[in-house]
Amino acid sequence: MKSPDTSANPAEPVRPHVYDGIQEYDKRLPNWWLYTLYITIVFWVGYWSYYEWFRVGQGSAQTVSAAMAKIEAERLSVAKLDDASLWQMSRNANFVAAGKAVFDTNCAACHLASLRGKGENPAAIGPDLTDTAWVHGGKPTEIHDLITKGVLAKGMPTWGPVLGAKKVGEVTAYILSKHKEGEPVVVTPNP
Amino acid sequence: MSAQKTTIEFNDKIVRQFILATVIWGIVGMLVGVIVATQLNFWQVNFKTSWLTFGRLRPLHTNAVIFAFVGNMMFAGVYYSTQRLVKARLASDFLSQLHFWGWQAIIVAAAVTLPLGLTRGKEYAELIWPINIAVALIWVVFGVNFFWTLARRRERSLYVAIWFYIATIVTVAMLYIVNHLSLPTSLTHSYPLFGGVQDGLVQWWYGHNAVAFFLTTPILGIMYYFIPKAAERPVYSYRLSVVHFWSLVFVYIWAGPHHLLNTALPDWLQTLGMTFSLMLWAPSWGGMLNGLLTLRGAWHKLRTDPVLKFMAAAVTFYGMATFEGPLLSIKSVNALGHYTDWIIGHVHAGALGWNGFMAAGMIYWLLPRLWNKPLHSVSLANLHFWLGTVGILLYVAAMWTSGITQGVMLNATTDNGTVLAYPNFLDTLNTIRPLMLMRVIGGGLYLAGFLILAYNMWQTLRGAQPVNGTVEVFADDEAHAPADAKLGLLGTFLNPPVLFSILGVGFACAWMFGANALSVAGLVGTMLCVILAYAHWESRGKAWAGWYDRLLVNTAPFTILTFVAVVAGGLIQLVPLVVSHRAANVEDRRQIPYTPLELAGRDIYVREGCYTCHSQMIRTLVPDVLRYGDYSRLGESIYDHPYQWGSRRTGPDLARVGGKYPNVWHLRHMEDPRQVSIGSNMPNYPWLLANPTDVAALPSKLSVQRTLGVPYPNWTPEQIRTRVDDQAKTISADLRAAGAYVAPDKEIVALIAYLQQLGKFESVGTPAAKTAAGQ
Repeated sequence: MKSPDTSANPAEPVRPHVYDGIQEYDKRLPNWWLYTLYITIVFWVGYWSYYEWFRVGQGSAQTVSAAMAKIEAERLSVAKLDDASLWQMSRNANFVAAGKAVFDTNCAACHLASLRGKGENPAAIGPDLTDTAWVHGGKPTEIHDLITKGVLAKGMPTWGPVLGAKKVGEVTAYILSKHKEGEPVVVTPNP
Repeated sequence: MSAQKTTIEFNDKIVRQFILATVIWGIVGMLVGVIVATQLNFWQVNFKTSWLTFGRLRPLHTNAVIFAFVGNMMFAGVYYSTQRLVKARLASDFLSQLHFWGWQAIIVAAAVTLPLGLTRGKEYAELIWPINIAVALIWVVFGVNFFWTLARRRERSLYVAIWFYIATIVTVAMLYIVNHLSLPTSLTHSYPLFGGVQDGLVQWWYGHNAVAFFLTTPILGIMYYFIPKAAERPVYSYRLSVVHFWSLVFVYIWAGPHHLLNTALPDWLQTLGMTFSLMLWAPSWGGMLNGLLTLRGAWHKLRTDPVLKFMAAAVTFYGMATFEGPLLSIKSVNALGHYTDWIIGHVHAGALGWNGFMAAGMIYWLLPRLWNKPLHSVSLANLHFWLGTVGILLYVAAMWTSGITQGVMLNATTDNGTVLAYPNFLDTLNTIRPLMLMRVIGGGLYLAGFLILAYNMWQTLRGAQPVNGTVEVFADDEAHAPADAKLGLLGTFLNPPVLFSILGVGFACAWMFGANALSVAGLVGTMLCVILAYAHWESRGKAWAGWYDRLLVNTAPFTILTFVAVVAGGLIQLVPLVVSHRAANVEDRRQIPYTPLELAGRDIYVREGCYTCHSQMIRTLVPDVLRYGDYSRLGESIYDHPYQWGSRRTGPDLARVGGKYPNVWHLRHMEDPRQVSIGSNMPNYPWLLANPTDVAALPSKLSVQRTLGVPYPNWTPEQIRTRVDDQAKTISADLRAAGAYVAPDKEIVALIAYLQQLGKFESVGTPAAKTAAGQ
């Protein structure tokens, strides 16, 4: 038998068994380690009681539904824009610059950065936004509503909830900045 | 004492073989990792072939590192240490060789099939069903070889390392088999038995515990052998070994649902997953403490001995990762970190720090002993250590920063919380791109370190003579457990520690899942159990210790108790969900079964590994609902075999992408994502526009789906073909009208059909507690 290093310290007794020369002390478990274990067990009892036993805590579906209802109310409280104010915004450099940034990241993929869409490249997905032909109406509020609600059948996403009222207003202003108040509006439902 | 002395020669040849395989597959696995990490910034690194595209290579990386690298390393360590700890040569040279060559053949089969797109579509369980059977069989070979060796041992009592090996073999077999239950539709394709939420739960019960019982317990066993050997110090605490072993194997199994927090998974399972993950913290740190404190009195050796340097760092990384795990399991932390790079960083702290460094330490310790020649260069080993450490730190720091940055951006809102601050997903992706590049550098450094190990090994082996270890044993060592130490079935179960544990867990379950009176009785029962057990232990503690000493000389009872400990959590989580009728478990919505064309498209989605970057699960979190739409219900994926909820959002969630864009958008997007998503890092998929859809496979697939419970009528193959043709022609015509022509038989048409269907459901009135939101 090998005689392994017993560290010759009687204050630190080792277990009688030796495995391939490996010995084992039998030290006490550190208190902080034990308390970590106990605290997590107590937490389990408390958390389970709160959410699953007494059901004081709300389930995740109720929590998110309540939060979304609040957001809905907040959105509805935002004042509605009209034609005149949108034209006014389209002549304001700050709004137009902000609208261009929104357009370039979100709209240019289909309508192209030039806004000319199919007018520039027939392979583009979105129609030309700079000419006087409009598929869904060309009044400022009509454009604003269309961006907000989208036309899923034609591939126009619902941008309102994604961008928010402020950015939809800005991007409407940017589109209107390519037009003049009073110019003819030709509605052609099928481009 | 009779002095009939014999010398046993260990089977160290098999250890040498597994060591060589570890190094070779380690390099392959890490190299593929560096390639896929690079592809996140430069998608072109797929060299325009489907085989090398991220979605197919990422499963190869994970499988190679887990099963090839750590697998071979584990087998080497287990075989080397077990023979010495039980003083017996491995039971069968034939089984050892079968184990080795079988495992290597499985790895090669995986390396061929995964790039070809042959996959089951479940993480770390991607291999196709014939390979699954091979894995199970070879694992049984490993188990037989191991337990047979234990049966022939000359050391009566089992050392702590052996406990961990037993837990590994038993539990991995259980997890692997259940998660791979499938019905084949062809030689290379199958659908998992479970669907939707059941599949998700089974998957993460497996996935989480693959980490536990493939990447943790065997390595802890290896730690318990090699650290005291290398440090030449006794293990710090035997009783800590006992407490942390049993608490670890018992608690680990329950924590799987923490991979599905805030999803459609029922709340009670999420609560279980989170609370048990927190309770796992101390048991995990028990292993770290016993590893690090064994080094007391040997810290000075760390300066000179690369083996201890690697192992001390590995145990430290283990402690870090097992603190981070419970932290990430807290629901609110998870809301930020899940689906981001934080999780990737967490995994790599474990894989690179704990597994990789333990492997390196073990290899540096074994090389001189297996080949009877000093290590070629200690300086190179030290260089490896520092390159590896800097690599890990760069990697993990990059991923923490990346994960938290993207999580914060994705969750940020403006306008009084009503609007997302970064509505364009790509803004968040492109912000973390430099960090993803830093990760490549960290991973590259780590790989460089490992290449140095390979070189060092090569130089050491050149001209060296392999040598097998021996041990002298006495004839009367042969005696096994004496009659008075034998534990029968009664002795295994009818003793204070086991009875108190089983009763305590039983009462705790009654408290958690029982109603009213039963619940109260359960709580009272649990508390009584704890008090009685404590009192009994205080007064009769010696009897407990004596019983445990007896258990340690009885392999079968030990194994049975280990199995009982690991099976409890699985049964309680899986059984209610799996046996309950699926239609009753839908909340307020039920998925509409896919048309045959959509099913074909879904199989293409699975084949291309889309789930490696896209989730299909809108969580019950406001930012998720704002970005992707109403939260996902249980019923909306019940017919999904396999489920595709995903685990990482390199791209946006797709649960409700159907109908969001026109068909032509998807065509352009798959052809070249940057046409419609400026700044995207998604690869081009031109082959989808060229390859024909595999319609011939559909009758067999639909028939299997019917068997699995998806309500398809019994269509004839002609009826299926007609349905496919009709739907494909409609999509093709729509594409033509939008100015882009694709023949109806191409795969892209099937994929578009599938994508446009995502999020379609029928409402069903249920009195579920969860009320419908935002309708």
